[in-house]
Amino acid sequence: MTVTNGRPAVDAGTVLPEWELPAVSAEKMKTMALVLADPNPIHFDLDSVRELGMGDRPVNQGPNNLAYVMNMLAVWSGGHEHLRGIRVRFRGNVLGGDRVVARGTVSGLRDEAECVLADCDVELVVDEKVVLAGTATVDVTHLTGSAQ
Amino acid sequence: MAMTESELAAIVGTPIPGGSYTVEPYVDWLLNDVVESPRDGRVAHPLFAYVAVAVGKTVSWDGLFEICGATADDGPMFGEHETVLERPLLVGETFTVGGEFISAERKRGQRTGVFDIVGFRLSLTDVDGATVASTYNSIVFPRRGA
Repeated sequence: MTVTNGRPAVDAGTVLPEWELPAVSAEKMKTMALVLADPNPIHFDLDSVRELGMGDRPVNQGPNNLAYVMNMLAVWSGGHEHLRGIRVRFRGNVLGGDRVVARGTVSGLRDEAECVLADCDVELVVDEKVVLAGTATVDVTHLTGSAQ
Repeated sequence: MAMTESELAAIVGTPIPGGSYTVEPYVDWLLNDVVESPRDGRVAHPLFAYVAVAVGKTVSWDGLFEICGATADDGPMFGEHETVLERPLLVGETFTVGGEFISAERKRGQRTGVFDIVGFRLSLTDVDGATVASTYNSIVFPRRGA
């Protein structure tokens, strides 16, 4: 189903606009440690990171990496309120200073309860290495212009 | 000593102590700043489904690991995460958090050795008693002694 109706077409195979963060902030990991009540020092204490043999850059919280993919879906769909679900596997670490890119492709459209839902394959990459991958479902009724 | 397989199976159905979580406007501001997302002010970032269950459950990560017969020193790793949203989460809303362990499976890998994958689901319920969101997480526990 491809419906233009003066709006962006959405169909299986549609490539979503990439979302990029040029450099993950180490400072913001400290804020997130408080938001998540996450005491793991690998996110904020460089001495601990070094003692654990994990290099000299802090490790980004996994939920932050998930949020970057959510941001990509929101920019594409017009807001966070359109996200219906997301399932991901954490496959690698993102470190302070890394450039991350979230990207995705629509794998199919389906009708459900008077809505048009787009199932998407999504991933987050650092230097073309996939650090998070999975699927997401977004309500795109407003993009297709069709209330079923 | 590592859990036996029968002890592992008995984890399934164990409730996870829950509490409540409010999406405070200042925390919404901070979280959106952290993850580089424009702030809506009305609709909360969907990551709050994860944050609400992580903070709103009243058992610590160490306590959760203990139920699974492990500690942080065993090197548990996040496996999968799923968020299902019935509707958008709103800034200022308060949710009740509750859930249980739903799966526990022992696996053996040639390179990784024995490890267990334990899954749990936590839900957010609004003040009217409606389920707003649910999250699933799986944690991988290396079982070097098994």
